[in-house]
Amino acid sequence: MTAPDSFPVLLSLRVAAVALAVVAPIGIAVAWFQARRDYRGRTLVDAAVLLPLVLPPSVIGYFLVLLCGRRGPIGAWLLEWFDIRLIFTPAAAVIASAVVALPMLVKTAQPAIESVPADLEAVGRSLGLGPAAVFFRVTLPAAWRGVVAGLVLGFARAIGEFGATLMFAGNIPNRTNTMPLEIFAAYQAGDDDRALAYVVMLVGISCVVVMLATRLNPREVSA
Amino acid sequence: MSALEARLTIAVGGADGFSVEADLAHDRGVLVLFGPSGSGKSLTLQALAGLIRPQRGFVRVGGETLFDSDRRIDVPTHRRRLGYVPQHHSLFPFCSVARNVSFGLPRRERRDDHPRVKRLLEELGLAHLAGARPASLSGGERQRVALARALAVEPRLVLLDEPFSSIDGEGRGALREAVRATLDRHGTPAVFVTHDAEEAIALGDRMVRYRRGATAETGDPSAMLPMAARLSLCAERVRVVTDSAAHDGEIEIALDNARLRGPATVLPGAGAAPVRLHLRRAGDQKGGGEGR
Repeated sequence: MTAPDSFPVLLSLRVAAVALAVVAPIGIAVAWFQARRDYRGRTLVDAAVLLPLVLPPSVIGYFLVLLCGRRGPIGAWLLEWFDIRLIFTPAAAVIASAVVALPMLVKTAQPAIESVPADLEAVGRSLGLGPAAVFFRVTLPAAWRGVVAGLVLGFARAIGEFGATLMFAGNIPNRTNTMPLEIFAAYQAGDDDRALAYVVMLVGISCVVVMLATRLNPREVSA
Repeated sequence: MSALEARLTIAVGGADGFSVEADLAHDRGVLVLFGPSGSGKSLTLQALAGLIRPQRGFVRVGGETLFDSDRRIDVPTHRRRLGYVPQHHSLFPFCSVARNVSFGLPRRERRDDHPRVKRLLEELGLAHLAGARPASLSGGERQRVALARALAVEPRLVLLDEPFSSIDGEGRGALREAVRATLDRHGTPAVFVTHDAEEAIALGDRMVRYRRGATAETGDPSAMLPMAARLSLCAERVRVVTDSAAHDGEIEIALDNARLRGPATVLPGAGAAPVRLHLRRAGDQKGGGEGR
């Protein structure tokens, strides 16, 4: 039996935090675009954003390897031009986590942005705010509860990512062994105590996250 | 150079949608756009603000062309310098009253204690609410803040879209007077959308009536609107000027631009119930209206 190690804990937190930093601007932009723009193919994008939520993580992992593996179009390009190899690195774990966090963020932030009254944005524009200022000074502050709830849920989803991470980042000790991977490895090795320690930590983090998200439940904009 | 000149064709909702023809000219004071709900008044206002794009026509404010379909000019809303006060959802819920009012000021001047912010709050009787959140305000207070915020950036023209429609009768009269007095003090011309005849008379210097999706006639509101609205307005504007303790005072009545003043007797026991006023011209008998 081996005692639980702090590396997977710190790695998991780091991977989830970086994944969130990557996915936050993209997810908020997508949520805004879907909430405020009417264009052909809008429902298609809505469905595409939802896909990582319903697809088995192994399928996501498979696609990631296909795209970003050494022979994949993105992977080969990165290797040739920048000498960067993604697969089996912590960066791969970040990408896998970001992909599964995206739908959580978009699907929580989008209704919050949709519920910001158009009149409020119109007033902002009449006061001299350009499109970017309207977004940052009116829309985002008015929808912040939903957006933060989306970020919190995205973080929870990112830190719990298992299947896609295993396929794309592998389970390399002291490199890509995040907590969910460690739980599986410890359980397979019959080291139930070590598995339990990580399980308790992940359950604790998830409980905090769910409580936060519930408290942030968007309220009606009343003024 | 007039404050506002516009001739617009606005179409919304595609082939089976709705279209509005508006022809407006305005110099000073308040121009009322009057007509039933769905007659195109609000669409006109949104087109003036640049929030929707008209099919054809032009908008000129203070001599500057903000929109011209022939010359392909369409100044975006944020560069039009027009104040906008909507019907609902007028205040930013996430910041205080003072922050709302200073919202449109340039970053360096954006302070709660900016002289213009303070003065507007005082003028509109909001100074004690500077730190309050919009959610804690009454409907009338919110619309006062919305007007203060629009005027804080010194717009060339203020657009008000039925701003009092969600406010109950009690507060409406006082609110109207406060809005009218503030607009007069700042000398900012305004376009005011309403379907309420009393409001049109109380606030409007000029009025444009909408009929079947087009501006039909322009004139003096009190000459264009039915007598009933004028009488009830007369009642609402009745003010006891002096001495209520002795139940004998002087009363002043404003109707349109005319003012009546004379001795009045207040009967005891009336309390807050509606009071019937009898106006009597020296020599003959004339009835009056009702008030509170």
